[in-house]
Amino acid sequence: MSAQQENIDSSNVSDLGSCLYDLLCADISDNWNYQQREGQTSSSSPQGRLESQLCQSGNRFCADCGSPDPKWVIHVANPKYLGKGFLESLSLGVFICIKCSGVHRSLGVHISKVLSVNLDEWTDEQVDALIRLGGNTAVNLKYEADIPDNFRKPKPDSSIEERSDFIRRKYELLQFLESDVHMSCPFPSSGLSSSSHHRSSSNSSGLSQGKKQYEKQTTGSRFNGLGHAFRNSWRRKESEHKAPKKSNSTAGMVEFVGLIKVNVVRGTNLAIRDMMSSDPYVILSLGHQSVKTRVIKNNLNPVWNEKLMLSIPEHIPPLKLLVYDKDTFSTDDFMGEAEIDIQPLVSAAKASETSTINESMQLGKWVACNDNTLLRDGIITLEDGKVKQEIALKLQNVERGVLEIELECVPLTQ
Amino acid sequence: MGIMFTRLFSSVFGNKEARILVLGLDNAGKTTILYRLQMGEVVSTIPTIGFNVETVQYNNIKFQVWDLGGQTSIRPYWRCYFPNTQAIIYVVDSSDTDRLVIAKEEFHAILEEEELKGAAVLIFANKQDLPGALDEAAVTEALELHKIKNRQWAIFKTSAIKGEGLFEGLDWLSNTLKSGGG
Repeated sequence: MSAQQENIDSSNVSDLGSCLYDLLCADISDNWNYQQREGQTSSSSPQGRLESQLCQSGNRFCADCGSPDPKWVIHVANPKYLGKGFLESLSLGVFICIKCSGVHRSLGVHISKVLSVNLDEWTDEQVDALIRLGGNTAVNLKYEADIPDNFRKPKPDSSIEERSDFIRRKYELLQFLESDVHMSCPFPSSGLSSSSHHRSSSNSSGLSQGKKQYEKQTTGSRFNGLGHAFRNSWRRKESEHKAPKKSNSTAGMVEFVGLIKVNVVRGTNLAIRDMMSSDPYVILSLGHQSVKTRVIKNNLNPVWNEKLMLSIPEHIPPLKLLVYDKDTFSTDDFMGEAEIDIQPLVSAAKASETSTINESMQLGKWVACNDNTLLRDGIITLEDGKVKQEIALKLQNVERGVLEIELECVPLTQ
Repeated sequence: MGIMFTRLFSSVFGNKEARILVLGLDNAGKTTILYRLQMGEVVSTIPTIGFNVETVQYNNIKFQVWDLGGQTSIRPYWRCYFPNTQAIIYVVDSSDTDRLVIAKEEFHAILEEEELKGAAVLIFANKQDLPGALDEAAVTEALELHKIKNRQWAIFKTSAIKGEGLFEGLDWLSNTLKSGGG
């Protein structure tokens, strides 16, 4: 009996993280509770232990900006030096939000490493280190010990620039660090030269130039060990590339809530655009992304059966389908279009993600009526843990044609 | 003959299209590279959950560049994007020496994929601006690039934030694709 029990547990553990969907669907907290009840805390999965860390009150908000429900972890600053026994007291284990994680990533792995709670695989050693370091409350007590009373910490809605400024001061320049920690901390000599007490001993011209720039924005800035060369590089980045920030503020910052797999099954009775037939293909677009199927020559009832994938942005736009006839020497001819609201599918997928039900069931449907373009009801189903919707649409702004597609939504919890 | 004509036609009118996947471990710099190529600017990024896709017109080739998220659990989804891909840009954080072994393993797993058999491979030894970044010779060794067989490949030292090396790599890629490789 007990041997069998162990088998079940170990298979649970090995399943975690083996596939994203399993990972997302596995009810980790249940697993954790179950194992605790069985008195097997030592053999519980790293992921389960991580989740329980996340439940501690200090870890429920981003350590840097206070956003609720942080799902990213700065995992150990400067691991190279940690290995030599240096900077043990400065290593980190804090929970942060995705926006602050973006800033931390930009510091480089010699300063901090960022892992996702859900999307990365954790080892026991990594979770041990995190627990040992004490989480957000303990780390902030140390790293924000000397924070000036009038200093404004970033808030959940702060800009990237505000976050970036604070995070660099807090973790890279160590401006707010508890004073006895940085007094007693032995810095290795290679690459990490000055501390606040004997700074400027090895300033290169580049550094002093950089320092001037930095002191413009900070009063009483002090430099403290970590990341000299790096400071040079990021200042260079800012001075050399005065990129107009407004124009690019959203690029690279789009949060996707999941993936949508679209199987473009077939078209039926499509419009004629060449002499007798058409060479149809389908363009799918979601927000600013678009993908297209292959062209099927000379066919008004093409079967593509082509699976295409798109990312679902946080504010979910409708999925647009455009059918075109491919022409070699002229502009492709329009063969109709359709639009699908994928919001219900995404909601159903998110809901099923947190549930533990495994049997197939109907989750909802988009009812065909005269007001919409559906040929029949588009039913959202849960099958083998996958949330799918089959849709047959009458193409619009064209004389005839039906398009059949299958949608599957894979939510990604970050 | 027909194919010859199409190719000639395409090169004269500059409408050759190529589908490129940008792959690599999380925080290698894939999204920063994508937008540096597309807009010529350094953008602030957050971890990519899912993917970004942009079109980059360069050297008469319209590159459709797919930047796929690199977190451990998202990597299995890369293969959904493999069909019809002409080239892979594999991005490595040259300063993250601890994870070069993982980067190597993921890289060689990609090369094994049947659907990517004909794809050219461009490796970016990125983050050269960071201290401790390995040069292209060291990255070549760490990734065991000498094991690559029957495939066109090249490695370039890059710094996405400084904008160095990226277009040199894209030059190589466009020449490779134009000459019919990949």
